[in-house]
Amino acid sequence: MALLRWKRPVHETVAGSSTFEDLALPLLPALYNVASWLTQNPTDAEDLVQETFLKALRGFDSFEPGSNFKAWIFRILRNTYLTSRSGLRARRTVSLEEELQETESGPGLYPEGAIDRLTPELDLIRLSNRAALESAMEQLPPPLLEVVLLCDVEEMKYKEIATVLDIPIGTVMSRLARARASLRKLLDAPQNKESQNRESRDKESRA
Amino acid sequence: MTAHLASTLLNALVDGELSVEQAAAAKLHLDECPSCTASALNLALLKNAAAKAGQRYTVPSQLEQRLRSLASSQTRQTPRAPVAASSTLLRTLSAAVAIGAMLLVVATGWIFTQRHAQTSELASVQQAALVTEVSDLHIATLAANQPPEVISSDRHTVKPWFQGKIPFSFNLPENLPGDTKLDGANLTYLHNRPVAQLLYSIGRHRVSVFVEQKPDPAQQNPPKAEHSGFHVVSFQTGDLEFTAVSDVDPARLSGLARALQQSQTPR
Repeated sequence: MALLRWKRPVHETVAGSSTFEDLALPLLPALYNVASWLTQNPTDAEDLVQETFLKALRGFDSFEPGSNFKAWIFRILRNTYLTSRSGLRARRTVSLEEELQETESGPGLYPEGAIDRLTPELDLIRLSNRAALESAMEQLPPPLLEVVLLCDVEEMKYKEIATVLDIPIGTVMSRLARARASLRKLLDAPQNKESQNRESRDKESRA
Repeated sequence: MTAHLASTLLNALVDGELSVEQAAAAKLHLDECPSCTASALNLALLKNAAAKAGQRYTVPSQLEQRLRSLASSQTRQTPRAPVAASSTLLRTLSAAVAIGAMLLVVATGWIFTQRHAQTSELASVQQAALVTEVSDLHIATLAANQPPEVISSDRHTVKPWFQGKIPFSFNLPENLPGDTKLDGANLTYLHNRPVAQLLYSIGRHRVSVFVEQKPDPAQQNPPKAEHSGFHVVSFQTGDLEFTAVSDVDPARLSGLARALQQSQTPR
């Protein structure tokens, strides 16, 4: 399924370079992008990235050269986010972790019969509406949003995501499944409303 | 029909995270299940769209400048410098070791040439090159995590698949040693010639067996070698040369090699 993969035009880190500058600066766009999604606020995102950089610099001696720098610095970003203002706020407003724990072993991706209504053609049209998808992603709770960002946007392997989020791979997989199912539901919701509106309008005009 | 694929499995499929065995099993099901195929396609489209939509925010130039100068000043102030220095030292050391090893190799080679005919030296170089090449091919196959080009545990499927792809033919054993099974095969290249790569599993260890036409009938390869933790077992039958590579216990690898060797001579 890699044929549909969309590549970020990012410079790969030069193999063998080992200064913090060489490793961290190419990742700045990615770090800032994820920070902005999580905080939903430019000022908070800047603070978050800057703090991440400072922490990473201070702790760079503990980074083992040759190991996965991207996973390492994203893990710092994520931990910094959790203790940041917006991170704490997100955790306070909804007890997401609990909610996730309960439903993680829940039913499958689609309700029975849902698949047949969703033809790939219809789907493609719906997904081409980038604004709708962006707003659906905004509505995802942060624990679900972050797996989507790390997996799809950052193209990390499940193992790397597990390292960044400090959760088992099985949890990465179930969260991804839940995240994509939620995205799908959020994308379908306004569509359903529209078609309902249209139906009711039809009825009115006929009456 | 096999059971429907779980949503985590479908997601892992789309993310390219399935193992070869899982991918093969999933493919079997997808081939006969339109509904799972549609959900896999839907997921792939969603993943693709999310990857694009997720690229939303660009770094403000002010922040970039600030962090750039922060990072570069820190690099210059060198909290990392001692480490960098020691890594230079390490590099010099390892270079010295490498040169030492090279000298040793050269010296051994020189003594070797003194003792043996030139042809045997050439043969050993070729053998070393072959060992390196086959283990590289084997590692590449493991790393690619792709299903084999022909997925089958049935020797009557795997053997005919090579018809017209390679300029020779070979037999596959019917009775394999316990715990050994055929996973499939690939067409690959060794020394710029097409060769058959048979994929076996012994327990959880993966084995590649390369079958090629013997380049030089006079040349005899040593039956066993080792390369970075992988065991290489080779043998010849008629015009063919078989080379098996794996990290499995050499005795069990030889068991598979024997089974292959026996099947080449029809009884």
